[in-house]
Amino acid sequence: MPELLAVNKNLFVEDAWQLDVFKGTGGYERARRALTEMSPEDLIAMMEASGLKGRGGAFFPTGMKWKFVRADPNTPRYVIANGDESEPGTFCNRFNMELDPHLFIEGMIIAAYAVDSHFGYIYIRGEYGRAIERVEQALADCYADGILGDDVLGSGYKLDLRLRRGAGAYICGEETALFNSLEGKRGNPRFKPPFPTNSGVWRKPTVINNIETFACVPLIVENGAEWFQELGEGDENAGTKIYCLSGVINNPGVYELPMGVTARELIYEYGGGLPEGRTLKGFKPGGASAAILTSEQLDVRLDPSIAQYDTIMGTGGVIVMDETVCMVDAAYRDALFFEEESCGFCIPCREGTPNLVQILERLMHGQGVMADLQLMEEIGDSMASSFCGLGQFAYRPVVGAAQKYRDEFVAHVEGSCPAGSCAIANN
Amino acid sequence: MTQATGPVEQTQADQSTVLESLRTRLADLKDEPGSLLEALYIAQEMLGYVAPESIEIISEELGYPEAHVFGVVTFYTLFYTEPQPKHIVRVCRDLSCHIAGATKIAARARQEIGAHPGHASADGLLKLELVSCLGQCEKQPALMVNLDVHGPVTEEEVTDLIRSLREEDQ
Ligand SMILES: Cc1cc2nc3c(=O)[nH]c(=O)nc-3n(C[C@H](O)[C@H](O)[C@H](O)COP(=O)(O)O)c2cc1C
Ligand code: SF4
Repeated sequence: MPELLAVNKNLFVEDAWQLDVFKGTGGYERARRALTEMSPEDLIAMMEASGLKGRGGAFFPTGMKWKFVRADPNTPRYVIANGDESEPGTFCNRFNMELDPHLFIEGMIIAAYAVDSHFGYIYIRGEYGRAIERVEQALADCYADGILGDDVLGSGYKLDLRLRRGAGAYICGEETALFNSLEGKRGNPRFKPPFPTNSGVWRKPTVINNIETFACVPLIVENGAEWFQELGEGDENAGTKIYCLSGVINNPGVYELPMGVTARELIYEYGGGLPEGRTLKGFKPGGASAAILTSEQLDVRLDPSIAQYDTIMGTGGVIVMDETVCMVDAAYRDALFFEEESCGFCIPCREGTPNLVQILERLMHGQGVMADLQLMEEIGDSMASSFCGLGQFAYRPVVGAAQKYRDEFVAHVEGSCPAGSCAIANN
Repeated sequence: MTQATGPVEQTQADQSTVLESLRTRLADLKDEPGSLLEALYIAQEMLGYVAPESIEIISEELGYPEAHVFGVVTFYTLFYTEPQPKHIVRVCRDLSCHIAGATKIAARARQEIGAHPGHASADGLLKLELVSCLGQCEKQPALMVNLDVHGPVTEEEVTDLIRSLREEDQ
């Protein structure tokens, strides 16, 4: 079955990152129409009707977010594209920024007009060298062509957009940490509320959306709210989702599909299944932050309703594991990531993440005890009170793996690795 | 845009010239609120790291206390407060790459470089870093030399890559 190409359509158009090629695909016509023929209120209503929800992982309704920002009398207001994309197993924003940077910029222009903002930032993780180059070029081309600046697309509307780079910190993808980073500070998160819609960058009302969320916007203006709503699976889901597939899989990559396809469809119909002779053991549905699901749960839908299975949809970065992957080792990789990326601002996360790492290390070296399994849950309980989403989610994949694959964890306490792939097995 | 890390060949003698031109280049950023990270990128591009003297100049030119600038430099892993080898080999150690064999890739890189992760090689040219997900998972296992992405890489390719980086400098 072919993919359902909407947001990713231009990935298959040669040189779509060049302004003239992008314009040839109808690019910036949607923004022109929005700014000259539609009222901001109509646009916000259109986003609400479309059912578009944020693709950054929290799935907050985009139209409602814009409405809150517009309703706040405080000015200036800001728009920000979040291109920090640092969740393990997630790389779809990179493709869109490298190959089709104008699409999300067009979405930002429409968003800015809808909330009456005249200044915005694009924040890209510092490791994405090529995406940074392409977006920088795209912005320069937009200014040269009158798409940005004092008279956006001849509408008389003024908008400036600036590119800013992160510098190696996952936490800066968290919106309030990102604001601090943009303001020239350490990327520690801020207390919420107030929420970004009222107090974002420079403490002003701010629309912050993921790159993919913004990329949906011009398509909604072009094809209508109903079209978008109907792209998703079932009544609850609107639009497509760009899923990322990696791990033990024949065809790792990005796949744009109806929001809410099943894991089975993604892995077997699109990803080509597992290599010959390998059997599925489990998969993570949304990056490191998502707790693992087992091979028996292949028919779950990859959408926010997945929360009923004690995991999260997150970024849609699906990581596939087979029988040779040790679940203690896999949990250790997640713990190590969160230990490294914890910003150190609050105690439950700063202390909890290294504690989990140490316990998993003990288990992988045959030095674990049964009480360690209980201890991990207790650490998890204390981390639940962490200051931000990083710490509040960091323990769940570890505790989740230990519950779902309890026999395997117990085997490590007893000195063996059933998968035969962690440190115990290699000693 | 400036590069995060890259080839910088500098003698002690021209460091002061560089620092003066840093002052000039920061002029553009003065009217750009919050542009400290960009200033640090410029400083790092010019000397290969963010030197104490650079921190002083940034603090003076952009009006931040030095302690604030230092706090920011040390928060972000792509900024360095010590001189760095010309090539930083960053191997992803997270789940997807790990499953695809990143541990072996890192071991081979370490063997070829001849130094523990985080430490410069004896010839001062190379350093291995084990890093968080680079967002290149379709290229699992992936690595970056400075900001250039390679993947999927095999152990043999790691050997070839590191040898060719060394040869470049012969
Ligand atoms: C630890 C952490 C990291 C995050 N990283 C990202 C990220 O890299 N990109 C992103 O768009 N959202 C990220 N988010 C979510 C943002 O805080 C925010 O919800 C999102 O950018 C809003 O955009 P959306 O409504 O379009 O999803 C992260 C959240 C947390 C707690
Ligand atoms: S939960 Fe972790 S990342 Fe978030 S504020 Fe606390 S220490 Fe920082």
